[in-house]
Amino acid sequence: MLIHGYYYQEGVASQSVATLCIHADDGANDNTVSIRTDADGAQVYVGQLSQINIGDRLGNTQRKLMLQNGYVFSTHDNDSIDALFKSSNANHFLSSVLHRIESHIGWVITALLVVLLTVFAFFKWGVPWASTQVAHALPEQANHFIADKTLEFLDEYFFEETQLSEEKTQAIKTHFFSQLVPLDDVEHSRKYQLHFRAWNQNGTSIPNAFALPSGDIILTDKFVELAQHQEEIDAVLLHEMGHVVHRHSLQMLIESTFVATVVVLATGDSSGLVDMGLGLGSLLVSSHYVREHELEADDYAFNQMLRAGINPIAFSNIMRRITDYTGNPEPADDEVLADNAEQETNVLIDYLSTHPSTQERIEKANKYIACYEKNLTVCL
Amino acid sequence: MKALYFNGSGFEYFKIWIVNILLTIVTIGIYYPWAKVRNKRYLYANTYLEDRHFEYHATGKQLLLGHLIAMALLIAYIVTEHLFPAGAGIVIIIFFFIFPWVIWRSLMFNMHMTSFSHVRFSFAGSVGNAYVNYMLLPALFFIALYGPMVASAIAIHFFGNEGAMSSSTGGAIMLGVVFGLCLAFYFFALMKKRNACYAIGNYRYGQGVFSIDVETRGFAKILAKTIGLSFLVMLGTIFLMGIVIATVGYDEIWAMSGTMNDPELMQEAMFNEYAIAFIGVIYFILIVASFIIAAYTKARQRLYIFSNTTLDNDITFASTLKARSLAWVMISNLFLIILTLGLAFPWAKVRMIRLTLENTQVDSEQGFEHYISQQQQSQSAIGEQIGDTFDVDFGVGI
Repeated sequence: MLIHGYYYQEGVASQSVATLCIHADDGANDNTVSIRTDADGAQVYVGQLSQINIGDRLGNTQRKLMLQNGYVFSTHDNDSIDALFKSSNANHFLSSVLHRIESHIGWVITALLVVLLTVFAFFKWGVPWASTQVAHALPEQANHFIADKTLEFLDEYFFEETQLSEEKTQAIKTHFFSQLVPLDDVEHSRKYQLHFRAWNQNGTSIPNAFALPSGDIILTDKFVELAQHQEEIDAVLLHEMGHVVHRHSLQMLIESTFVATVVVLATGDSSGLVDMGLGLGSLLVSSHYVREHELEADDYAFNQMLRAGINPIAFSNIMRRITDYTGNPEPADDEVLADNAEQETNVLIDYLSTHPSTQERIEKANKYIACYEKNLTVCL
Repeated sequence: MKALYFNGSGFEYFKIWIVNILLTIVTIGIYYPWAKVRNKRYLYANTYLEDRHFEYHATGKQLLLGHLIAMALLIAYIVTEHLFPAGAGIVIIIFFFIFPWVIWRSLMFNMHMTSFSHVRFSFAGSVGNAYVNYMLLPALFFIALYGPMVASAIAIHFFGNEGAMSSSTGGAIMLGVVFGLCLAFYFFALMKKRNACYAIGNYRYGQGVFSIDVETRGFAKILAKTIGLSFLVMLGTIFLMGIVIATVGYDEIWAMSGTMNDPELMQEAMFNEYAIAFIGVIYFILIVASFIIAAYTKARQRLYIFSNTTLDNDITFASTLKARSLAWVMISNLFLIILTLGLAFPWAKVRMIRLTLENTQVDSEQGFEHYISQQQQSQSAIGEQIGDTFDVDFGVGI
């Protein structure tokens, strides 16, 4: 058997085209190998097959045989090498096991599917699950650590002093602490605080409510004005409490750490080209997480409303009034439900958006409203 | 003159790449250094000049420690960035001081782990020069660029009000800013020149010494032309955007800008069909524009550097890479990757490698026969892996 290749000394550029020859010795376990240079036919090496170290097989690249005398024989004829060493060389298996996986189309397709599914499952379930675990394992101080100075920052750059009357804010506070806070099972570990602020931008007052991870909840003046019933304020406060209870701020921090780490690893050898695509991808993934948090806070609010005997319709009502006020083009729920085709084209856009679409939230509300009307306190 | 060539294929690289990702996932990331080595080995071993090829010699084990340190640093950085942005600023300043060292280690390690025709490369640059090239010069560049603006802003804040601002003060400020810009231009060209000299001038191939003879003026010319081209591209971009805006309609854009005062509302408004198409098209135009400029600079610098580089005054180099073809491969690769959700990455990589190799010419009278690897101290890969993880871009790039 003849194998064509190159004979050289590692570290020396000079190489000679050479042929490796295997002499099948009758009855012997080990075969003799000799190498002759093609130019003058001189025999430059003789040795035993079993004493040769084989390099890894990698695609179509040249295979290296490390010889006893410190020289190297390298060849493109990978198949002959594998056939030759199959029976007689112990380290042969390790040198080609990866290649066998890489060259077997079934394995490659399996790898492809496993990679795609794992990446999907990792971002869809793995990261949120792990983040939830970590967020709840951290001590309560972690929340204060994140929230620290946030309100000061908002006060300095966005908020103004509230214009609401003292009685009004006091009434909301009293109601909040007597009716809503006790609904939270582990209220002792959390210190809820209610803040009222005016938020004006470009001459428009903005209706909104926020929760800081420390339990500070901020209501804007416009929001309080738009709310027509106490129940509507309760609904939004419960939603914000949901964010606090589920530690969504911490979760978001952990989730973005995951995403950023994966992005950096993936860009490691991408030479900057893929970065833009990855940027878009991580934006998609992060906004998906925020949406999930919003829905989770909604669920929390609805369940607590059932327990407290508040009609979940209050939540839809206030959400609709806020979107109407801010001139959101999204249509009211009955129009949307009539137009299914429209809904389908919105799936992608839905996915991009950080906040669940109003229609999705209203559907969820409808489910809970049905439960409320049947006097259920638990809705499945 | 003989061109380098690539003997591998995109499909074969894909198979190696996907199995590597699988093994990295299955081992929760531990396999990553080995995967990186296997990918690199395939690409290097398929790079040929006549019947001689390159080889990458690092092992996964060598890279593992550096990889773990780099990952720890990365996670620490991301968490700091979220928890206290001010702290992240400090971390960036610390990195600013570490990076020259990382680049220096990286160059040493990577060169030492690369061979051509069985002979190892090496890198003889000093760490001191790394600090000059990758810390001092960039700092001077930024000071010259922003210094006069910041200084005049401070001066106006403390000493002047609108009434007292005489026309001579205004003139002095203008003069200062223009002077700063000129200085920044000079520092940038100087930096490019010094970087090329530092990297290439310190490469060794066996006992062979690379030498490079480039001047600041050469890089200044390229920079001036790049700035000129950027203006043209910018004009074209504005023109195209005008067409897009006219097509989409002012009403839509008005509707969007009307929601600017509320971030949540803006987010909702941004995600309607028109807005997505609109932003998509603008994004596309900007990417194409930036790729054209990047390709032009790269092709020009490559041409200049290659034609002024020799190995032992015998082996000479030349680049035939055209900005046009480089821009085309960059842009089409990006879309290939996005449309396949990243799965076409190996093909994209091979396309880019083919283009650059086939446009790299090498000429020699005496050939490579007499080169022999020199004894080198074993190298630690810690700097290399940190550089890799944080995507330090320093190479002159073949």
